Amino acid sequence: MSEQDTKAPGKDRRRIRRTVRSICMFAALAILWFGRDSHAPSLIPGLSPFVAVASLLVTRTLHVTACIGLVIGIVVLLRPRWFCRWVCPMGHCADGVSRAGRRLGRHPVKFFPLGQWILWLTLGGAVLLPWPFLLWLDPLAIFSNALTLLAAPSTPATGLALLPALAVLLLSLVWPYIWCSKLCPLGAFQDVLSHLVKCVRSHMHRDKQKHPVPDDASRVTRRAVLGTVVGAQCALGLWLNHVSGGKPARPLRPPGAVDEAAFLGLCVRCGNCIRACPTGIIKPDLGGHGWTSLMSPVLDFSEGYCREDCVACTGVCPSDALRPLPIQEKPDIHLGLPQVDMNICLLGADRECAECRRWCPYGAIRYVFSESEYCLVPQIDAAKCNGCGACENACPTKPKKAIVVAALARE
Amino acid sequence: MDKRMNRRECLRALGLSGLAGGLGLSLTETAAAQQRVGESSGFQSSIIAEHKVLDTSTAAKLVDGKVIQPRRELSVLHETDVLVVGGGPAGVTAAIAAKRAGASVTLVERYGHFGGLWTGGLVLLVLGHIVTGKKQVCQGIGEEIMRRLDKIDGAIVDRRPGVNPTADAEAVKYVMLEMIEEAGVDVFLHCWGVDAIVEGNTIRGAVFESKSGRQAILAQAVVDASGDGDVFAAAGADFEHRSHNIGLVSRVGNLDRVDKSKVPEGSKPRRLGSHSPVAGVNWVNLTGPELDGLDVKTLTRMEMNHRKFIWRNMQKTKGTPGYEKVYLMETAPQLGVRITRVLNGLNRVRLSDLRAGKQFSDVVGVGGSTNGQHGPWQIPYGALVPTNVDGVLAAGRCISMDIGMADLVRLIPNCFVTGHAAGVAAAVAIQDRCAPRDVEIAKVQTILKQQEAYLG
Repeated sequence: MSEQDTKAPGKDRRRIRRTVRSICMFAALAILWFGRDSHAPSLIPGLSPFVAVASLLVTRTLHVTACIGLVIGIVVLLRPRWFCRWVCPMGHCADGVSRAGRRLGRHPVKFFPLGQWILWLTLGGAVLLPWPFLLWLDPLAIFSNALTLLAAPSTPATGLALLPALAVLLLSLVWPYIWCSKLCPLGAFQDVLSHLVKCVRSHMHRDKQKHPVPDDASRVTRRAVLGTVVGAQCALGLWLNHVSGGKPARPLRPPGAVDEAAFLGLCVRCGNCIRACPTGIIKPDLGGHGWTSLMSPVLDFSEGYCREDCVACTGVCPSDALRPLPIQEKPDIHLGLPQVDMNICLLGADRECAECRRWCPYGAIRYVFSESEYCLVPQIDAAKCNGCGACENACPTKPKKAIVVAALARE
Repeated sequence: MDKRMNRRECLRALGLSGLAGGLGLSLTETAAAQQRVGESSGFQSSIIAEHKVLDTSTAAKLVDGKVIQPRRELSVLHETDVLVVGGGPAGVTAAIAAKRAGASVTLVERYGHFGGLWTGGLVLLVLGHIVTGKKQVCQGIGEEIMRRLDKIDGAIVDRRPGVNPTADAEAVKYVMLEMIEEAGVDVFLHCWGVDAIVEGNTIRGAVFESKSGRQAILAQAVVDASGDGDVFAAAGADFEHRSHNIGLVSRVGNLDRVDKSKVPEGSKPRRLGSHSPVAGVNWVNLTGPELDGLDVKTLTRMEMNHRKFIWRNMQKTKGTPGYEKVYLMETAPQLGVRITRVLNGLNRVRLSDLRAGKQFSDVVGVGGSTNGQHGPWQIPYGALVPTNVDGVLAAGRCISMDIGMADLVRLIPNCFVTGHAAGVAAAVAIQDRCAPRDVEIAKVQTILKQQEAYLG
């Protein structure tokens, strides 16, 4: 709750606002869950101007989802914290819990505006590398991610997906209203925008009584400059860590994923793609690829493969970490390339097996007789293969698969 | 002494008589010398015909540098309702099925035993009878063979739901022989089907080459279970000529005498195959390169290369500490030719249909997967019927199919299924006096079900 809000609007106005936000929340839930086969879920984190600006900075292209976020940005430019007060479903939940906290006798605390730091660090990272590394703290992304619970109720990922949302609610219970007023980067983004408007207004109007220069102007500016620089530094550090060797293998990303470094930052961990995937092969990364990749979508072909007739996940990404992909381009993408371990492959032990070749939708696998090994060796035509994982899925060896799709080396 | 005795025989007789005389056994000598045609000599060999000279007027002639085979009439060895060419899993099932459906049946086999590549090729693992959910789709006569093996001690192992069993080749040869005899099928072994007998575009039998020479068997309907489609191809049926891997199976023994404590870490030989019903004995598959299994030069080269590899690989294995006592028991008598000719039939078995779970109104069998990793696939009757030739049905690995199905169609249980269907359909065609393509499918399906086949 910003200072604007604490001017205490009438009780009726508050009630109306709460009703509207409830409607928004249920609408968001409905879109996320029932619309998971369509492009609609991208709308939820996509509404966030914070995500839109970061996406714009990283991808340097303007997409439809980013446009929606930017429109919201213009609205909040004119009406400070309008989004928080009338739309934000995460804020609505946090408010509800905050009220409960108040009733339990907890009081709001004084806290420095961490949200603005999150904002500047993220945007700083987005500008320089581009690695908007704290973008996942966007409230809409947190809200959306919590829904992964419904998609896969029994996996350990569920707990992790819920964690940010639970943390927000818990913090709100202990220190009421702390999330919206001090921590939320989207709230801070709106504050900064209204601050900007105030400064411009005071500059344009001579009447300083009516339009005073905000008293914390210098502090906000300092914060912005410092935050951006530190953010850029942090992103640089992360990037160096990312490119240096000796790390866990690069994960397989869903189709349409941008460059890995950009992906790690741009992905808001909303879980939209995970829920959109009809074969359930997109799984949240539980730390198998380093902490920078935590909760980001990775491909797992144990239960299925990336179907040749599907680009569902590319249509639901709010931040364009997964670029929209036309279905005709599906055969030309490269999710990865299968690698065969002949020490496991049944062909290496003279067993009859033709599974990977039989199930390859692109006819990219041939078995070639090796005179030196005196056995057949699967050969993958990298030009035909798009890394869909049908071979890995079909491979009968246990517990390790003899054919495994590996991410391509960085170009 | 007979005056027509040649010099060698004369000398032998003299030598014998000298020896016998010396031993005081002159009576035996006299009996041998005076033996007449058709009489037992008392020795292990008897004379069937003396001074036999074959008629060479029909022998191939070298005319102007070209080898010409003159016209000649072939003797008819036998006449039958249904002639089944090939005594592998498909042929044996087809013969039994046709006989049980009321036709007189003749089964002709190139080798001296039944079972084809299952026994002669030593492919002991029975892959292909199960689908997802451990359901067994291979029933009928194929399953009857398996149940007979169950009753024999040491004939088959791993007979559990959802598992691929492994059989013993000798037990299979015996069980098939028993069932063929019980069914009352006429059998000719050591007969290699080399040509079709055609009247117009209808097959009326087949020509065989054997030690008895070139002979004919006349039939109302022919089931081509030769694996290579030898008969339908000779009759001019439309087919596809494919290459596939050509391997050679072997068996290794004394694996129960491997001293595991001596085996160094990570150096356990991988190419020692899979277990068999005989303790300590594994059958070892070999995939081999993808080549033309109809080219005799290729077959010769493969046979020689594979034998060299198998022998040398075994020497390498014996060199591994702990594996000294392991030895090469045998190499399979039959080279592992997988796919050669494939019929272009009225219909075909397709991988896309398998994926879509397509149902056919003329289904005559259901095929399975290697490890239960996919669902059942229906086999339409049209996949057994040539487009342009009558009187012949394909069974086994040479039925009409697309390239993606080859590794499923050629599996033993799937050969049982297509053989069963072809046998019943041939018998029905004879009963109803129609061409196999015109048989009443419902009738074929009813008989198949009576014979406990699974049709989905």
